[in-house]
Amino acid sequence: MNEIIIGIDLGTTNSEVAIVENGKVHIITDDGKKILPSVVGIDDNGEILVGETARNQYLIYPERTVKSIKRLMGQDTHIIMAGLDYTPQEISAIILKRLKAIAEKHVGQSISKAVITVPAYFSDAQRQATREAGEIAGLEVVRMINEPTAAALVYGAGRDEAKRMLVYDLGGGTFDVSVVNVQAGVVEVLSSHGDNHLGGDDFDQQIVNHIQDHIKEQHGINISEHSKALARITRAAENAKLVLSDEPFAQIEEEYLLEHEGSPIHLTLELSRGDYEDMIEDYINATMDALHIALKGAKLTVSDIDEIILVGGSTRTPCIRERLFEEFGFEPHSEVDPDLCVAMGAATQAAMIAGQAIDTVLVDVTPYTYGTSALGFLDGEPYPYQFVPIIHKNSVLPTRKSEAFMTFQDGQESVNVRIYQGEDPDALNNIEIGEFTVEDLQDVPAGNIITLTLALDLNGMLHVSAKEKATGLEKSITINNAISRFETEELAGAKRRIDSLFGQMDSSSDEIETSDAVSQSKAVAEARQLIKKAEALFDTVSDEDKEDMVNLIETITDCIEAGDEGALQEPVEQLNDIIYYLES
Amino acid sequence: MTTPYQILCVSEHANDTEIKQAYLNLVKENPPDRDQERFQQIQHAYETIKDSDSRINFELFHFPETGFNALLDHAFKQESEIQPMHPDDFFRLLNAVSIDKAVMGDIKNKSS
Repeated sequence: MNEIIIGIDLGTTNSEVAIVENGKVHIITDDGKKILPSVVGIDDNGEILVGETARNQYLIYPERTVKSIKRLMGQDTHIIMAGLDYTPQEISAIILKRLKAIAEKHVGQSISKAVITVPAYFSDAQRQATREAGEIAGLEVVRMINEPTAAALVYGAGRDEAKRMLVYDLGGGTFDVSVVNVQAGVVEVLSSHGDNHLGGDDFDQQIVNHIQDHIKEQHGINISEHSKALARITRAAENAKLVLSDEPFAQIEEEYLLEHEGSPIHLTLELSRGDYEDMIEDYINATMDALHIALKGAKLTVSDIDEIILVGGSTRTPCIRERLFEEFGFEPHSEVDPDLCVAMGAATQAAMIAGQAIDTVLVDVTPYTYGTSALGFLDGEPYPYQFVPIIHKNSVLPTRKSEAFMTFQDGQESVNVRIYQGEDPDALNNIEIGEFTVEDLQDVPAGNIITLTLALDLNGMLHVSAKEKATGLEKSITINNAISRFETEELAGAKRRIDSLFGQMDSSSDEIETSDAVSQSKAVAEARQLIKKAEALFDTVSDEDKEDMVNLIETITDCIEAGDEGALQEPVEQLNDIIYYLES
Repeated sequence: MTTPYQILCVSEHANDTEIKQAYLNLVKENPPDRDQERFQQIQHAYETIKDSDSRINFELFHFPETGFNALLDHAFKQESEIQPMHPDDFFRLLNAVSIDKAVMGDIKNKSS
């Protein structure tokens, strides 16, 4: 039997978990609900709340509740919840733990592996943080795939005719756009672009600001000083936004919002769709600019696109559909629920990794250019921090590229290597994502050759190595965000801490080994042990005995590979007999 | 040595569409998740010859059987002298890419 790997969409506002069963992908429901709000809180009794209950508590106890944690992933920061400090990874882990429990309840066995989606435009640090969140939750993240790519996988499955699609993914906190070619069972991402901090939350904030201004004007009160009132306004703004997706006007009414100089303040405000669209116009323009950058990256124009796919709850905003229609001249697709599509794609990829026969293959790209800085020229002048791109954006994953550099001083003993992410010819305008030093170089004149190799894996994570060519002296690192990097012990500590928060709620599923032993039955494990034992004896046995043993080992290995445990017994017994005879 | 054409199992006269189809078929059989080395080999071969520009580039500038380090030696003359282009390669270049044909092919692709 294949081991189970679940697909998780860990969203800014909502999260989902999906699985492939009997060749069909579906969202796993919890009490009939497909969506788990990405909100975490601590209740009166110190118990942890995740999802709808935490979301409801936010109105009464905003200081004990955390939402939109995804926006802080990859940053070196702490969030205070009920007086205690948490890292963004830990809060995300709480959501993941809940999703894991939902899936375990559904399949009736423990689950230790997952494919988790991340925004295509998530940086190395943000991806690393997501992986750490998985580990804290007791989930090995076997793969991170990009959200728009996951959606394209769902839309692209089972399509024969070649199609070029544009995936427009606007979620609660992030925006991605990807250009995808679907042909002959291969979903091939041609280019990706996006914005890590643009989403429905920003739309809500615009409405909140509008309400705040209104209250200030009417009553002269600065509402941002009243956390509970602010929480209610935020909720009211979210609701108004949802109403405006269907109606031309929304009524915002909150009675007894707060007390001011002995009299209660009520909020009554009407918001028209037109006013709202004016508020978010800059954001929508930014998405359209990103869309054109993605098209350019794929060397295509608007007329080359056959279909537009809408992903993410924020794409329900009517003016987005209108703008896309104006731009492309046809209606975008949203047949697969924009909230669920990504999790379904993650589950499809998970099934493929678990070895199930899936008829769609995924080829993805990196949206970022990675490189280093070197002594060079900028605008015709010598400049010490010229950006030298090594892996260019929209390169297919995995990829590995090398570049040679030379020392510029005689007898130079060390080279400091900085790695940047970005497009600007001035490295200092790009994001520095890591730095390391190659030391103990040969004492030779300037011109000692150092090769720098950058590799991006399938998860979009960067691995770096530098080598002195003459001696082969090598230094390699994985760029784990240098600032917020978790050491292994810290991760284990965080895991214990989060586990204890959950208390006895799911103690049965806590101690899950993520080793290979889980994926294989006892019989297979024993057979593997036996093979090791036999191989250890090879040096001391006669050729004839050795030949017999090799033949038996081959038979056993074949059985294991074919998954035929019934046929294992006979050769295992024979091999056991030989070993017993040899050892006695 | 294996040329990108051999890796993708296409003739040296294959057009963009044929090369793309061959690439996709190979990727389908060798997804990046299964064997990354093999996938990278296929991907690299495809990027080397996917359109007429890259094919001309390949014929003009490829160094047979050279990896990154060999190129480096070549560039900095650390080990080997610069070798003139082998006459066979030169004739192959003349035969393989007629510039006229490449340009014609391009026009055809665009008009279809």
